[in-house]
Parts: sequence; structure tokens; C-alpha cells
Amino acid sequence: MISLKHINKSYEGKTVLNDISVDFPAGKTTVILGPSGSGKSTLLRSIDLLVRPESGSVEFPNLTYDYSKPISKKDSFSLRQKTSMVFQNWNLFPNLTVLKNITTAPMTVLGQSKAEAEKHAKELIKRVGLAGLEERYPSQLSGGQQQRISICRALAMNPEYILLDEPTSALDPELETQVLRILEELCKQGQSMVIVTHNMDFARLVSDKIVFIEDGTKVYDGDTKDFFENPTPRIKDFLSGISIDPTVEEK
Amino acid sequence: MWNTIITSLPELLSAMIQYTIPLALLSFLFGLILAVLTALIKFIKPSENKALKYPWLVLRAIASFYVWLFRSTPLLVQLFIIFFGLPNAGIQLDPFIAATIGFSLNTGAYASETIRSALMSVPQDQWDAAYTLNFSTTQTLNKIILPQAIRIALPPLSNSFIGLVKDTSLASSITILEMFQVSQQMTAKNFEPLLMYSLVAALYAIICSILTLLQHYLEKRTNKYVKGSAA
Ligand SMILES: Nc1ncnc2c1ncn2[C@@H]1O[C@H](COP(=O)(O)OP(=O)(O)OP(=O)(O)O)[C@@H](O)[C@H]1O
Ligand SMILES: [Mg+2]
Repeated sequence: MISLKHINKSYEGKTVLNDISVDFPAGKTTVILGPSGSGKSTLLRSIDLLVRPESGSVEFPNLTYDYSKPISKKDSFSLRQKTSMVFQNWNLFPNLTVLKNITTAPMTVLGQSKAEAEKHAKELIKRVGLAGLEERYPSQLSGGQQQRISICRALAMNPEYILLDEPTSALDPELETQVLRILEELCKQGQSMVIVTHNMDFARLVSDKIVFIEDGTKVYDGDTKDFFENPTPRIKDFLSGISIDPTVEEK
Repeated sequence: MWNTIITSLPELLSAMIQYTIPLALLSFLFGLILAVLTALIKFIKPSENKALKYPWLVLRAIASFYVWLFRSTPLLVQLFIIFFGLPNAGIQLDPFIAATIGFSLNTGAYASETIRSALMSVPQDQWDAAYTLNFSTTQTLNKIILPQAIRIALPPLSNSFIGLVKDTSLASSITILEMFQVSQQMTAKNFEPLLMYSLVAALYAIICSILTLLQHYLEKRTNKYVKGSAA
């Protein structure tokens, strides 16, 4: 389990995360919901130290890191070892082939042999249905294919958790489905995941738990079923807003 | 006319092969190494670690001074100082070495700014992606950022290289028998300045055209590394 405790973060004096405490259970999928600008990405990125909160802590069984104190290289390494992030725009390395995008980190960071890393990478590529594209460059793939490869890249590091920040928001509905199917599969296999998404159907389908934040404050933290079936007035507003708001991606 | 061209061509070509091309190649190579180092020193933020912070700030100051110095003074003056001036300080250099040093330092100063701006133009997303995979800063630079930056810098660096090829003609003024110097000497004998200088201009143009073709080839080959590198 990952526990975030009393996280505070501000940008230029503006509070973005306000004393947020939340648990992400192992082997489960937690979905973070909230309006645009509410602080979802900031919260998710804190876990992987891509954002550094001013105070609060992140806790794993037997490990605690206090954000307000300097975190040593060794500690940030072991912290990042536990999680891998998947980005909205996938952020594949354009200078590397698909295969190398996946194998470079295991070889460089974990010291895996080339043979070992490639074997694992090829299994992953096959699992996401993209066998045969190993030698292509990211620019030669569709967005949906790139996102599936970036999921492989994250999985290749054997993280305990995968953190996904709007993994399908930049995709057409058709390509979105391909990616969602893979995430659903991972979810069924008991992969621990934290997902930020605007896709309510998907959230409802895969999540074991919902965290809803607004203006940097946690508004809901609990059961998925409860969230959708007994929404508070505010959540009801949010849920109905999502389906009619023309600025939100088509589902 | 053809006679003059045919008799002078071998000597011009031999000056090209012996001096112009090696001078340009060596200076570009050393200049590029210097440029990458300088660009990295100016690009990488000083670490929070106090023991490393101050030496790094000193290095940064030196790098900035170097770039400022060589961009704010004329190349010809730099060559004169290195070749004619330094002997007064007890440093006597072979003309070819003096020229190589001068051209390398000058190219390095300009190219370092090209590379630094290329480094800055690699999106933060790439750093984030590397960090989440637990790459160290050095590994991220080596494997991800520098290769992309070099690709971005390829067209402006080719520009610098082409400029350098033509600038080697300035080495004539510090006694090097490169192509332009040879053409001057021949003119003194055959009194054909229009023909001789046009001929030498054509030879520079040929080298530069070949370099341009090479640049386009490299750009094409590496296009797939940059196109659509995500939004
Ligand atoms: N680097 C930054 N500098 C200044 N302000 C920032 C920065 N990053 C985020 N913010 C601000 O913090 C707030 C929360 O941003 P965040 O990206 O976490 O929102 P979000 O919930 O992920 O939104 P979205 O659904 O649009 O992705 C926003 O008001 C944003 O403007
Ligand atoms: Mg976001």
C-alpha cells in the first residue's frame, strides 16, 4: 500500500494541494477524479517525485519519506523503483526504437543483460498486441500504439504500482478502447494502479476505489459503487457536468 | 584561360587537401567537443550539494567568459593574438597548431550556444519520462536528451561547419599555405586575379555544396527521431 499523508503543495503562493491524505491499496485500482485544475496530476506526480510537495509524507510498508526534508539520491531511487508513470502524451523517447524505449531503462538502471531485457520487452509488446513493431520509431506509430508501448515501458521496470495520468485523453475513441482494454487486463491480473481519468465509464468499470478532489481538497475517498450510486449533490453535479460539458473529450 | 586553370589546379587542390580540409575538420571536431562541454556546463543547474555547488559555479563563470570572449572579438584578431601575440608571452606555436586552436575555440564558442539552445528545446516531458524510469541525470542526458539535442542542432551546426570551411581562408594571414594563400601567390605570378580568385571561390563552393548534401542526408536519415515526438 502507498499512503500519502498530509500533502501540501502550492505554486507561487497558490495552494494546489491542501492537506491531502489518501491510501492507494496494493493489488487494487484507484481512480482519481476531479474537475480540471483540481490538482489530480500534481497529486499523482508527487508519488514519483516529479513534483515535490512542501510538506507531507509518502509511506510504503516499512518505508517513509518526508517531503519537507531533503530526500537522498538513494531514497529517491528506491522510491521511484516502486512506481512507474504513464503520461497523457506517452512521452516515448523519439530517438530510440520501440524495443529500445522499453529495454534501455532495465539495462541501464537495473543492470539487466541485453538478452534478458529484450526477451521481457518482446513478451510485453506481444501482450499489448504490437508484436512486429519492435524496430519502428515512435514517430512511426499511432497515438494508441505509442501509449500501449509506453505502458510496456513502465511495466518493464517491474514497478509495484503503475501511475497513469489521463492515459487516453489524447486519443480518438477507437484508439482509446485499445488502451483501455489493456488497462482492464492489467487490473484483472491484480496490478496495483492509480489512474487519473475523465472517462467515467472506465472509472466505474475498473476502479476498486475512487478519490475525488476539488480545488486541491479531498472531497470523496471510498467505494466506487457508493460514489456512482449514492453521489452527494456536488458529485452529482460533477458527474452530470462531465457528460454534457462540450470541452471534455468525447467518450 | 583553360591552360592557367589546368596548371594552377593541382597546386590549389593539394593546398586544399593538405591544409584547408584538415584545418576545417580538426577545428570542427575539437570545437564540437568544446561546445558540448561548455553547453553542458551552462545547461546543468548547480547541484544542491554544497561541495559541488561552488566548483560548478566557477566552471560556469569560466564557460560564460569563454563564450563571451570569443563571440565578442573578431576571428582574425583572435588568430593574430594566438600566432603573433603569444610568442611575446613565451608561447611559440606552429602556424597550423595556432590556426587549429584559434578556429576550434571560435567554433566552440558559437556552437556551444547552438547546442545549449537545442538542449533547452528538448521538452521537460522527456526528463519526466526518464526520471520515472529511474534514470540518473547523467544517464538521461547521455541516452535521451543529448541525442535529441544533437539532432535538433544538426542544421545550425552544419551552418557553423560551412562557415568554418570558408573562414579557414583567414589562416592565410598567419602564414599557412592553404588554398586562398596559394591562389594569392599564383596571382602574383600569372597576373590573373579574376580567374584565380574565381577559381578558388568555386573550389570553396564545391566543398560547401558537398557538406550541404551531407547535411541533408543526415537530416533525412534522422528525421524519424524527431517527427511527431508527441505533443
Ligand atoms: N508548474 C506549475 N506552475 C504553476 N502552477 C501550476 C504548475 N503545475 C500545475 N499548476 C497549477 O496547479 C493546479 C493543479 O494542476 P494539476 O495539473 O494538478 O490539475 P489537474 O487536476 O491535473 O487538471 P487537468 O484535469 O486539467 O489535468 C492548477 O491550477 C494549475 O494551474
Ligand atoms: Mg492533469
